Amino acid sequence: MAKIDLSNISHSYNPNDPKPIYALNPFSMTWENGNRYAILGPSGCGKTTMLNIVSGLVRPSAGRILFDDKDVTDLKTEDRNIAQVFQFPVIYNTMTVYENLAFPLKCRDFSKSKTDERVNAVTETLNLKSFLNSAARKLTADQKQLISLGRGLVREDVAAVLMDEPLTVIDPDLKFRLRRNLKEINEQYKTTLVYVTHDQNEAMTFADNIIVMSEGEVVQTGSPKELFERPNTTFVGYFIGSPAMNLFESEASSNDSVKINNTLIKTHTNLSNLKTKKIKLGIRSEFIKIAQNQNENLVDVNVEKVEDLGNYKLITAKLGNFTIKSKVTRETEIPSSKVKLHIPADRCCVYEDNKLI
Amino acid sequence: MNKLYIFLKYFFIVVWTVFVVAPFLWALTTSFKDFQSVNGGVTYIPWVDFEPNLEGWKVLIKSPAKGGVDIIEPYFNSMFVTCTASLISIILGTLSAYALSRYTFKAGFVKNNDITFFFISQRIMPPIVLSIPFFLFLSSINLLDSLTGLIVVYIVLLMPIAVWIMVDFFNKVPREIDETALIDGCNPYQAFLKVVLPNSIPGLIVAGMFCIIFGWIDFFFAFILTFTEVQLLPVKIVALNSSVTPWWSLSASALVSVAPLIIVAFIVERYLSKGNLSGAIK
Repeated sequence: MAKIDLSNISHSYNPNDPKPIYALNPFSMTWENGNRYAILGPSGCGKTTMLNIVSGLVRPSAGRILFDDKDVTDLKTEDRNIAQVFQFPVIYNTMTVYENLAFPLKCRDFSKSKTDERVNAVTETLNLKSFLNSAARKLTADQKQLISLGRGLVREDVAAVLMDEPLTVIDPDLKFRLRRNLKEINEQYKTTLVYVTHDQNEAMTFADNIIVMSEGEVVQTGSPKELFERPNTTFVGYFIGSPAMNLFESEASSNDSVKINNTLIKTHTNLSNLKTKKIKLGIRSEFIKIAQNQNENLVDVNVEKVEDLGNYKLITAKLGNFTIKSKVTRETEIPSSKVKLHIPADRCCVYEDNKLI
Repeated sequence: MNKLYIFLKYFFIVVWTVFVVAPFLWALTTSFKDFQSVNGGVTYIPWVDFEPNLEGWKVLIKSPAKGGVDIIEPYFNSMFVTCTASLISIILGTLSAYALSRYTFKAGFVKNNDITFFFISQRIMPPIVLSIPFFLFLSSINLLDSLTGLIVVYIVLLMPIAVWIMVDFFNKVPREIDETALIDGCNPYQAFLKVVLPNSIPGLIVAGMFCIIFGWIDFFFAFILTFTEVQLLPVKIVALNSSVTPWWSLSASALVSVAPLIIVAFIVERYLSKGNLSGAIK
């Protein structure tokens, strides 16, 4: 268990090239002891590179890594006392399930009784008890992944457990249960868990801190609520939330308002220091409702379709050339094809150069 | 159509079987014949066409002083040379294959694949090209006509096979296995010995089998690099072919020389069919 500091880390797979391509642009970050982190981003954005740097499989081109303020940048993987679970099950085929789970402890000279105790605790959590003595290679893919996971959790004193999309191969039903188990383990043992995923729901339900990455860049770090309500960039707004954030290309027309399709929308952002007038207005579809008795920030739209998605209705409408999406409760009556929607000023995010102002 | 297909299928299987089995049957029957039955026209069926006897087999273990050919010593020589050279080749070959599979080497334009190809290229040229250099080399270090010299040469011949098979095998073993072992606390040597190697037993068996086969059947280098002190089995068998060829003992010794390979093939085949080789990875 440790606090992990990543300071000015960057990485390139061709550092000696005159024009190195960076898999990871310089960034700094601190992972507090005992928290749950999710690294979220599309494929190829540098998530796995980041994990491999922390576990020591990859040495960063620049920057330092500190575990509890101790520099471990040059420390080898085997000396870092860290656990990592990969996307696909990695098991030691020639060993039994018990031997697989005990291997990390055996490598570190734990006593037999301590090993037994830990392996039993882990098998209890992961429901592997009945397989303990069978050959690991005979299990199914998701059982194998449970073993991988178990090997990551079997040491109590690890600096952190890094998981690289570990639940991809696991049934949705079991996935849900395992995520809860991981949360419990984190709460019980105060193990720092870092979870890489491209699935925002997984990230949102699992972590209390989410790191959003895009093209080798850390774009935003924050709680699920922060990422949802105040996305730092249009990318985050687009990537997080379902449906994606409504984004309207537009111009600032006064110090705090934006013009969309000839309607003035008031915001709580100060727009007096813009370099250009070109901006984007972003608003979550969750915050757009059918106007009741508000008298400003109203837009007239033509409803294109209404989808009933079980616990809510999704209205897709046209606002001039823009498409606008609004999430309303199931009970909401949608009067006709022409509807007035209300855009709350305090929920509006204004982006210049795709960055939040 | 369907019947024709079945007919053709079995027809070719039968033809192929005859093609493969006939030489063995021929050798087997001949080994029990005497001079009369070999030279006196075609005979096939024992006790009907000819009277079988064990003379061809008996001379194999008799010493030359008593008119025998004594293949026991060459037999053990062959076994010793083949096994030692195969073992050393497998050990060295596996180590270099692992390095070639996992680490990046670069010397000018020479990269990992080029090094792997360099190993295989040793087997591309005809062996005759190597005969004079090997002869001069062994004579310069006084190892001509000795088991050690043959072992050295066989390692040169067998190691490329081991490297070639094992590089391909290690490339199929996911790197994550090594990485997981490192994360679990092994150093790179332990990761190789405790995790990667046990996972590679199928590859080791295949490579070992090829080494043993190629080592065991080699006649050319055994013939050129030995004279009187040391004799390997293939050379001994060919040497039986004198002015009056003793077909019976020649056949018997040929069968005896194939026997170990048949046994190896049976063991490996049983191991294969048990499913121990499949599904080793993932």
